[in-house]
Amino acid sequence: MIQMFHVTKAYPGDPPVLTDVNITVDKGEFVFLTGPSGAGKTTLLKLVFCAEQPTRGQILVGGRNVARIRDASIPYLRRNIGVVFQDFKLLPHRTVLDNVAFTLDVLGTPRSESRERVLRMLKLVGLQHKAESLPLKLSGGEQQRVVIARALVNDPTILLADEPTGNLDPALTVEILDLLCEVNVRGTTVVVATHDASLLERYQKRVIRLERGRVVGDTALLKTARRTG
Amino acid sequence: MGAAAKAEVFWRSALQGVRHQPFPHAVAVLTLAISLFALGLGRAASGLVDHLLSSLGNEVQLTVWLRPEAPPAVVDALTASLRSRGFAVGLVTPRAALERLVRELGPSAEALRGVAGEPLPPSLELKAPPALRSVESLRRLATELGGRPEVSAVDYGEEAVERLSALSRGLRWGGLFIFAVLLGATVAVVSATLQLAIYARREEVEIQKLVGATDRFVRAPFLIEGLLQGVSGAVLALAALAVLRRWIDPQVESLFGFLQVPGGAAALWGGAQTLELLGMGAVLGLVGSFLAVSRALRA
Repeated sequence: MIQMFHVTKAYPGDPPVLTDVNITVDKGEFVFLTGPSGAGKTTLLKLVFCAEQPTRGQILVGGRNVARIRDASIPYLRRNIGVVFQDFKLLPHRTVLDNVAFTLDVLGTPRSESRERVLRMLKLVGLQHKAESLPLKLSGGEQQRVVIARALVNDPTILLADEPTGNLDPALTVEILDLLCEVNVRGTTVVVATHDASLLERYQKRVIRLERGRVVGDTALLKTARRTG
Repeated sequence: MGAAAKAEVFWRSALQGVRHQPFPHAVAVLTLAISLFALGLGRAASGLVDHLLSSLGNEVQLTVWLRPEAPPAVVDALTASLRSRGFAVGLVTPRAALERLVRELGPSAEALRGVAGEPLPPSLELKAPPALRSVESLRRLATELGGRPEVSAVDYGEEAVERLSALSRGLRWGGLFIFAVLLGATVAVVSATLQLAIYARREEVEIQKLVGATDRFVRAPFLIEGLLQGVSGAVLALAALAVLRRWIDPQVESLFGFLQVPGGAAALWGGAQTLELLGMGAVLGLVGSFLAVSRALRA
């Protein structure tokens, strides 16, 4: 589903943020991307949803080379990728329903159908009773669930989450991660960037470790090596 | 994926934009209204000047001096040809010309007492039909008649007509220059105010792009906002012009009534001019918002 070959990302005058990164994430996988702050986790996710272009290397998303994608094609690629941010990025003057419907508005989904799908998604994240509330009236965990609902409402094949629990207390963190696992069970490929080591232990999923822009560990490779060795 | 659903989203988003940021929108509408008011005023003034110039042209009478030896049949043919083109033609014989001169000279006519025969040539005095009363038409006609063998000279107050023509040209070019400056300034101000509105909604634009909105999708509500601003500005300008006309029309009538502007001052602003100003407002609003949103999307 996501393949990176010798990907390097550098900004002029600074050391590379990512150096010769090679990873493969299969369809339906759940992957933790971890490492200290500044390791390149966010940049790696940005490369996948084309918020940045690699300096070198190739990136395939759903079989499409996004390193060479035209600007005009980026919106269509993004419709297949849901993105969850640590800082939520919700519109404070719009209701929860309108915030989630935002994704469907872009697709030109009729209002009645959109409302039905949004309410279904809010039910999935346990917020159907908050549809008419404004985001600032919700707790941090609830706001993050709204963001997840917005990311998933158009059934994307990939969900990218950048430190989705960074602002949440431990109980809410587990709640959100459980929700992401549930989404993954339904068939969505999920990549979660986090520096929270306790999550990696608790959920026992594949972990790709980044340090100073390089992949320094990948539990999938380790398992393969153990099997073959 | 319905076009109707998208159109509904665009309009909803545009109206929400206006509701959430009334101040930048009010500034843009006012700027547009002031510019369009000035443009409308300029348009009406230029119409008035055109009418005045053509009315002054009415006052100019052409005198076609004929050669004394011109055969009467040729003069008759020329007269008939001019009448068929709508000119009022009066033949002034040498005797009639002399009598008129004596009348005009009054007591000084004594000086003519010794003059024998018919010293003045015959002439035709022409008054052009309304359609041919412009300065250009008068000049063309004079050139045409001056080339005929039976005509020795044509007098149409050339100097006055040339001055009128130069004034008309100057006003037209000056008006065009002011029009271009006003247009540019309006687009710049509208674009700048809309950029403020877009800046205030940058988070919304960012999220739209993250969830897969195309540039066209992001741009559409802002274009609608620009269109609404343009039309609102034009309506305000039209209202101000209507109020001004109530006050100024009687003054125009009393000042220039003697020049007989066809249809009176009311004829200077009609349905076509109203539509023109509305269209101009819409185009200015659209161009201003297009520039603003394009700049914001590039940033």
